[in-house]
Amino acid sequence: MAESADHLSCQEVVELVTEYLDESLPAEDASLFEQHLNFCEGCVWYVDQLRTTVETVGEIREEQIPPEAKERLLGAFRDWRRS
Amino acid sequence: MAPAQAHPRSAPSASEEADLVARLRGGDERAFEALVERHYATMLAVARGYVRTRAVAEEVVQEAWLGVLNGIDRFEGRSSLKTWIMRIVVNIAITRGERETRTIPFSAFAPEADEPAVDPDRFRDESDGFPGHWRAYPGSWASLPEDTLLVRETLDVVKRAIEELPAAQRIVVTMRDVAGCSAEEVCETLDVSEGNQRVLLHRARSRVRSALERHLDG
Repeated sequence: MAESADHLSCQEVVELVTEYLDESLPAEDASLFEQHLNFCEGCVWYVDQLRTTVETVGEIREEQIPPEAKERLLGAFRDWRRS
Repeated sequence: MAPAQAHPRSAPSASEEADLVARLRGGDERAFEALVERHYATMLAVARGYVRTRAVAEEVVQEAWLGVLNGIDRFEGRSSLKTWIMRIVVNIAITRGERETRTIPFSAFAPEADEPAVDPDRFRDESDGFPGHWRAYPGSWASLPEDTLLVRETLDVVKRAIEELPAAQRIVVTMRDVAGCSAEEVCETLDVSEGNQRVLLHRARSRVRSALERHLDG
């Protein structure tokens, strides 16, 4: 991933955030990633923005099943049970 | 820095799931109802990626539940029950989508062209010293008032951004970040590789972040 072995640019960091948050970055890249955050406030804020984005998406309420759709399914279930 | 928190709606254990399957096979209506309530929204979101309208997606989900009931005796537990159910949704949705000629081409889950997470213009170029570094830092959202992100207006921005995503990105981010599916569940359900799943998720999150940034900083 990294162009040089000892350094990531900000532009490289922003492409690795999902892998980093999923803990699927190879150890060497994770270490370069964290080293970068140690000296780059902009990327710390960026990672925080993406993390906040994920949390905010998680706040979207999944819609509930409409009552009539549920009734239809329960009806289908009773038919299935009888068969 | 701590990794993202696991989704609060955690997966049932293997023994809970075996119990649920047994109750379902035995005709326990409460078990069926609980399963419907738990998975309906995710099924609908997955189906919507493949068919044109919400009404058709609802039909796909209804049909999928019949498939679940008729197939439950053959469920062997090789994948989780949830993944098995979602696979049924995908198969029915693909059939419906083909009939409507709006199926997601198989290759849609293989990301094609490069899509940078952040507009390249926001980084310094070669002539600039420190190429690839921010021209101007993104804003700190830590200083926003606590509830800014949770107000309805902000959540509407996020919802709209998700609706506008390309279908494959929308399905993946909905499964992972709205419904709380694991990466593995997404890969198995959509028959997509781990790497492609991650790329689609990353692009989707990056686009939603941009929309939020325009809303919050704009």
